Amino acid sequence: MSLPRANYDPRRVCVNPFPNISLDKHKHAVGVYVAGALFALANWQFWDAAILSRHTVDPEVHISFVDWVPGICSVLGFIIVNLIDKDRIKGDNAFSGDGGAVWRARLFLFIGFAFMAGGLAGSIALHVLKYYLREYSEQFLYYGYANMSQNVCFMLSAVILWLAQSSSSEYEYHLAL
Amino acid sequence: MAAGLKTVILLSFVLAVGFLLIILSCALWANWLPLLVALTFVLAPLPNALFGRFNADDFSAEYEGSGAADVGRFLTSMVVVTGFALPIVLAHSEVIRPAACVMSIIGGGLVYGTILAYSAAFRQDESDFD
Repeated sequence: MSLPRANYDPRRVCVNPFPNISLDKHKHAVGVYVAGALFALANWQFWDAAILSRHTVDPEVHISFVDWVPGICSVLGFIIVNLIDKDRIKGDNAFSGDGGAVWRARLFLFIGFAFMAGGLAGSIALHVLKYYLREYSEQFLYYGYANMSQNVCFMLSAVILWLAQSSSSEYEYHLAL
Repeated sequence: MAAGLKTVILLSFVLAVGFLLIILSCALWANWLPLLVALTFVLAPLPNALFGRFNADDFSAEYEGSGAADVGRFLTSMVVVTGFALPIVLAHSEVIRPAACVMSIIGGGLVYGTILAYSAAFRQDESDFD
């Protein structure tokens, strides 16, 4: 009498099971796509301001190398954070032998996030010191806003990429058990 | 298979319309910078196609988590966003007209949508044979 169910779950509550939307399977890929899109968006926001600064006639203020520094710091931090092996951070010494590797990995993670936070803080400081306090018109305040949103997007991109990759490694861990 | 033939014909029409829009957006104002959008969108599926081959191993095929495939996805979405952002940036700094910007974005979207739909249809056919 019992109907053969392909995916019978004894813990279920309803007779008709909820449609199992398997976003989990694609969460990893979607996270990586979103991170890449945010990375490109961050770059283009700042390049837009830089190209605009090059093409405006009779400008009061240009985008100079100082404006590029927070973005460069953020990209450096992004690269450092993503080069770290995620399994080293968790501190299970299954294969790393001593605790020194974990300590070093955490140090590099700290340096990477310090670069990114430094870039964000630097962009805010640059906006306040170079554009806001000198009371330029709204057209030039846009350069500072673009710089801040660039660094915010870099940080969001790094966080989303980290979450996507670490969630997938958890899944792999459960699968291995 | 007849549906596949119709799909191919429809997609080729959409591709032609997309390229028509991009080339018009360049030629109407004699400014050929929006042609970069076509180049960007044609190159967009390339990283996924290249790095996706690393997934096609024998045992790791069921799990889509290798680092090389992630690099491909990251680069793909970067290139797609670049294709949408480039005309906006060019129009913002008044290198191209806003109408050319809109036309090249729609054309580029049509080209990239064609590529996506074609690869999706082709993949479905392939899995039917498996």
